Amino acid sequence: MSKVVLKSEKLCKQFGLMAAIKDVSLEFNEGEIHGLIGENGSGKSTFCSMLCGIYSITSGRFLLNGEEFRVKSQVEANRSGVSIIVQEMGTLPGLTVAENIFLGEEDKFMHGIVKNTGAMNREAQRLLDSYGFNHIAASRVIDHYSFEDRKLVEIVKATYFNPKILVVDETTTALSHTGRDELFKVMDRMRTQGNTVIFISHDLEEVMEHTDRISVLRDGELIGTVNTKETSADELKKMMVGRVLDNRYYRTDYGTPVSDEVVMTVKDVSVPGAIDDIGFELHKGEILGIGGLSECGIHEVGKAVFGASYNRKGSVTLAGGYKVNTIQGAIRKSIAYASKDRDNESVVIADSIRDNVCLPSMDELSTRGIVHNKKLDDFADKYARLMSVKMTGIQQYVSNLSGGNKQKVVLARWIGKKSDILVLDSPTRGIDVKVKADIYSLMSDLKQQGKSIIMISEELPELLGMSDRILIMKDGRINGEFKRNPNLGERDLIARMV
Amino acid sequence: MSELIKKFRTGRYFGIAVLVVMALFFWGIFKLLSPGNFGSPKLMTGYLQTSIQYAVGGCGLYFIVVMGLFDFSIGANVVLSSLVGVLLSRHFGYFGLIFGCVLCGTLIGCFNGTLYSKLRIPSMIVTVGLMLVLESVANYVVSLDVSGFPGKLTDENILAFNHAPWNYVVAAGAFLLMFFILRFTKIGTYCNAIGSNELVAKNMGINVEKYKFVGFVLLHFFVGIMALLTVSYGRGMLAVTGMASMDRNFKPLMGTFFGVAFKKYGCPVTAIVIGEFIITMIFNGLVALNVPTTINDFVTGAVLLIIVTLTNRGLKGSVVK
Amino acid sequence: MSITILRKQKAGGLSRDLMPLFGFAAIVVVFSILTGGKIISPGNLSLMLSQVYVLMIASMGVFMIMTVGGLDFSQGAILGLSSIVFCWVSNYSIVLGVVAAVAAGAAMGAFNGFFHVKFKIASFIVTICSMYFFRGLCKYITTNGPVPATFEVMMLDETWLKVLLTSVVLLAGFFIWHFTRLGCNLRAIGAGETAARFSGCRPDLTKFLVYTASGAITGFASFINVIKVGSITGTAGSQLETQILIALVLGGMPISGGARSRFPNIVIGALTYCVLEKSLPMVFPVSATQQLVKGIVFLIVVALTIDHESLRVIK
Repeated sequence: MSKVVLKSEKLCKQFGLMAAIKDVSLEFNEGEIHGLIGENGSGKSTFCSMLCGIYSITSGRFLLNGEEFRVKSQVEANRSGVSIIVQEMGTLPGLTVAENIFLGEEDKFMHGIVKNTGAMNREAQRLLDSYGFNHIAASRVIDHYSFEDRKLVEIVKATYFNPKILVVDETTTALSHTGRDELFKVMDRMRTQGNTVIFISHDLEEVMEHTDRISVLRDGELIGTVNTKETSADELKKMMVGRVLDNRYYRTDYGTPVSDEVVMTVKDVSVPGAIDDIGFELHKGEILGIGGLSECGIHEVGKAVFGASYNRKGSVTLAGGYKVNTIQGAIRKSIAYASKDRDNESVVIADSIRDNVCLPSMDELSTRGIVHNKKLDDFADKYARLMSVKMTGIQQYVSNLSGGNKQKVVLARWIGKKSDILVLDSPTRGIDVKVKADIYSLMSDLKQQGKSIIMISEELPELLGMSDRILIMKDGRINGEFKRNPNLGERDLIARMV
Repeated sequence: MSELIKKFRTGRYFGIAVLVVMALFFWGIFKLLSPGNFGSPKLMTGYLQTSIQYAVGGCGLYFIVVMGLFDFSIGANVVLSSLVGVLLSRHFGYFGLIFGCVLCGTLIGCFNGTLYSKLRIPSMIVTVGLMLVLESVANYVVSLDVSGFPGKLTDENILAFNHAPWNYVVAAGAFLLMFFILRFTKIGTYCNAIGSNELVAKNMGINVEKYKFVGFVLLHFFVGIMALLTVSYGRGMLAVTGMASMDRNFKPLMGTFFGVAFKKYGCPVTAIVIGEFIITMIFNGLVALNVPTTINDFVTGAVLLIIVTLTNRGLKGSVVK
Repeated sequence: MSITILRKQKAGGLSRDLMPLFGFAAIVVVFSILTGGKIISPGNLSLMLSQVYVLMIASMGVFMIMTVGGLDFSQGAILGLSSIVFCWVSNYSIVLGVVAAVAAGAAMGAFNGFFHVKFKIASFIVTICSMYFFRGLCKYITTNGPVPATFEVMMLDETWLKVLLTSVVLLAGFFIWHFTRLGCNLRAIGAGETAARFSGCRPDLTKFLVYTASGAITGFASFINVIKVGSITGTAGSQLETQILIALVLGGMPISGGARSRFPNIVIGALTYCVLEKSLPMVFPVSATQQLVKGIVFLIVVALTIDHESLRVIK
């Protein structure tokens, strides 16, 4: 009989007027890997952040081994045996590997205010070796190591003190195959030692493969907990969205021919360090999917095609012979780009919806450099409403919008610009199901209108569901091409990715 | 063999070697151009004695700059702390001088740090305001000095720090202290951490507010020591208004830039000391070439700009304000 | 969540826009009381405002720089050198002198812009360096004595002319700010440079233009400066950059620029500063005290007007 090690009792979290977690009572057992899934906004990260002291608790409580557990910082949580590997980068450049591992815990190497750097480095190296990461040197500044190696250091940092509870928050999305294997090894080891892992991931396959039980959150509420062996991906999806996911989520047509008319030719495109020798043709009315593992260069292709890459070699030529080399040129020639890094590259966060929607269309909205504010207002209003952006008015600052609505603002601006070629990078990342469906149907509409779309995505179902053709990239090169086909499956794509 | 070379190239001795070569290079140029009034051993000790003052200030400034902050009120601090030191020395001798300079400096650091955290304004802006305030206070302090020689150290017996060996002792002490803090305490690590990514550092449980405050206190503590050396060397201090104290900010800053540039070689303190010496040599070299003193500002601007241009590594696509 | 937040944002925006006006009114009232009504007597008023023209014009240029998030500490030096250029050329023709001053200012601004944009050095460092650089030149040129302008210039010292010139410049600036693409681009670049770049703006070119334009504008202001003083010494224009900074801040300009910058910041700010500057000596005769008050007022106003939303990390 499994013993309950961690329990939450009627946990609630409010951000201002918004309830992020509502009355969640959940139990975790000793010696299990417990999956926590749900769409974005469902509250998984918030739940765990409250556990680890990153957020404060509004009401309710956690019970760790029967005793109330409430901490104010990650370091405090660590000392009580609760640890988290966060989604973003958790190590600091400018510090050595050893300093990173022991950040906040230097006390055991301190005599008064003096720090025994040598001992710290030796201990860090010993730990790294024990995990099998002996290619990482503890005394070197961490800047010399790749993103993946830094994540490995983070794994050491989060687990070396044998925590009772480890939260893995969406870490796998950022890791390569090898990195993921290392992580799962660590997770298994924790389970064998009788500790608990809470595994948050969007990847249902992964969750089903590695967990013992799975809990589903939706809109801040606990829907239910199931034994992994007794459930299926479909059942989980149903619990996540509360309805049967019909296939009208994605496109349902197969076999519709794509026009032969070429709107963009990409030839010999390389960006040193990212992509090499990329070449393809984009046709009118085509949805071209580009997929691959996170670091294989798919995102750089999007930038290259939009004229936003530095040091790009090769050519990106449009139908009339125009060569795309700058962002202004791309926009003027009717190319749109929605970046994966929404907050920094797609929207001007500290500015209004109106300014954001109007910015690329300034050519059309101004006469000889002069703008009329009324015209801008009307334009922004029209397209924001067209996209059903949930806002209180076009003067609202984009920073106040949810992820899905931000993306709608991004799309609104390009629809307003009437761009013919849209390069969408991870268009539905971090967006809830309803808005996802809206975006997919928008893409279908655009296709009907003869617009061409390049969709870059790390989510295989999306690529399979929406693309006319899929290009798979690996290590910076194109490694496979697939045509739209009802028999095409994720296995086929993965085979070309790894 | 290539591994060894690589290790040497990124190591401490390489950094020091580069600095020494630079120093010799500049010495060589000015000596060639103006052999008569530059570069003799006696003059060199003169350069050294002035450069260590700035180097002490540069050390303090390093903590702040590494965290991405800045402080325009250093010059005003030097003025104020010097005058407080002079005032106290009239009644309490050496004890008053030392205590006055250093304690005043440290208190200013606490004041700056508190204001910065409470008002939540960028450090650059808040320290401009503080510079105005501190300069004014310095004027009040001078008016309190009724000795007939306001702001001047007239007593010969109080000028030990004006010359060797004591000025060297004080400076060396400051450098050793700096080295110790960076190597053997948490402060160095945390300042670096805050400088590279403040939000992540906070997540890691680093008390960012506390260490920024500590940074300001340390900065002005070192500036207090700099004031002690400056007022002794100059035998006194003048109170100014109208942001004229800004001029005193830049020599230490140049040293700090050297320190930051050589951070990755692991020898920031040495870089600051040698860097300041190089800068002092350049200024004196130009004077030796009969470049008019009015052109002093011109040279300061040009040198600073060149140093910054060379040591700055702007990444493509990064946003610089 | 939405209505309350927008109300707060609107209220915040409104109070930010109105606060400088209140501030101006408050300062006038307070100092009128403290000086027994002296400052609002007509003679004093015109004396107070005599300073405002140069300040307002030069502030307009810096306003644009600050909107894109930069700072400029070299304004005083630019004013000084441009004034000298004007004085020299005015001996041939006053109009040509103005043109030369503007060109000189533009060249200096371009120098700043070049180093900032091309080498990606922070604007405050570049402009501090150039401040020393230009100021040194200024001092060197005036080593043997002040540089005089041609005598006819003094006859241009008429209030109506100064008001006219200032208004023309401000109107032109307002037009560009509010009714052209450049204005929109400036705000976007200040609010989010990377995103602006991805939306088709050209931050590098725009920033370079802004620095050059600001230099040119200050070059024009130097013309008005010379009208007033007649000849230029080595300390010409000293402290202008701080005066501009304080003026803009008093006018409600957010330190980091961006979308919340408003053109009236310039006008209200310059007026408030001049009133403050002229009234302080009447209340506090000691110059050190005046500076103390200025410093404190500056700190308080910046603390109140800072735009926390666009500054996620405060350095």
